[in-house]
Amino acid sequence: MTGKKAKQGRDDQFAFYMDLLGHDILNNNQAVLGYLELVLATPSVDKTVRKYAEKAFSHVRTSTMLVENVKRLMATRMADPDSLRPFDVMKTLQMSEKDLSRFFPDKRIRVKLNHMPKEIMVIGNSAAEDLVLNVLVNAVRLDAAEDIELAVKVAGTEFRGRDCWKLTVEDTSAVLPPSLKDKDIKYVYLMDSSVAVKLSGLLFAKMISEMLGGDFDAYELPGKGDRPGAGFALTLRRAGRP
Amino acid sequence: MTSVLIVDDELFIVELYRDILQLRGYKVMGTAFDGEEALKKYSSCSDKPDVIIMDHRMPIMNGVEATKEIMRMNPAQKVIFVSADVLVEKEARDAGAVDFLPKPFRMDDLIEKMEKVSNGH
Repeated sequence: MTGKKAKQGRDDQFAFYMDLLGHDILNNNQAVLGYLELVLATPSVDKTVRKYAEKAFSHVRTSTMLVENVKRLMATRMADPDSLRPFDVMKTLQMSEKDLSRFFPDKRIRVKLNHMPKEIMVIGNSAAEDLVLNVLVNAVRLDAAEDIELAVKVAGTEFRGRDCWKLTVEDTSAVLPPSLKDKDIKYVYLMDSSVAVKLSGLLFAKMISEMLGGDFDAYELPGKGDRPGAGFALTLRRAGRP
Repeated sequence: MTSVLIVDDELFIVELYRDILQLRGYKVMGTAFDGEEALKKYSSCSDKPDVIIMDHRMPIMNGVEATKEIMRMNPAQKVIFVSADVLVEKEARDAGAVDFLPKPFRMDDLIEKMEKVSNGH
């Protein structure tokens, strides 16, 4: 067996094991979510317990998303770049307010879509859909407020000589982790893992966007004071363009 | 009362669906832990379930195969497919499933789909 084939074999076994683990975790999350829903649907449950259950619900949702991120990373890493197909992320954005409210039932979230085109076709199969949703989830997770408004804009741009869509999400009450201030997300690789773990969602967006031929960055909004807000810029290759 | 057959290889998932469906007024007429057991139970019951909740990744026979066999026996049978494998949705629908829910899902979503399916939508 050649070294390349042996490595492929190990990669396949690893992917298989990751898939089994992911499947088991999602099944367990299903049970936790289901029983939490039962608690929330019980009329005699008081307000405090309800709030605790909603928080637990939100964390299980996050755990589910993390598992899906791992699965997505594995699938995207192993995919043939030529097999990536166009995907309309406009549909994802239109559904995002509903999706985010499910992820974070204890928050009130509005997604403002400003001057959007009818469709935003990008290269990346459903990985692009996960990525857009992930960026929005990142913004909400970095915002301690209960009322959150995410302003989304899109514009055509060029990245590494290719036509792309640049999607920006801005949240005036989100706060970037101090470890990331004035730094590119790629520096997360150089950080201690105890610090980097707090940034895993942002790192995921960076990795997947690069795998899809695009880019991702997070930045402080140009405001003043301790809480200037945060912006997230996602660049994805435009479908049907060179 | 809408009757349901639950097919999933995880006991704790079967118990969860049973607890919630019974609370919501559904009649859980049976449970099965793999596709083959589901087929045996399905073919032996005189009153067929209104809805089958079918998992995919199960030992002996998976959910897609079991759905195909059930649809051969009764093309009008309503099967709601539930799976953590989102990539199996097309196969499940091609096999005859009327709907698909990726795990984990909200129980309210399952109930909504059950109501739609049992009302003939």
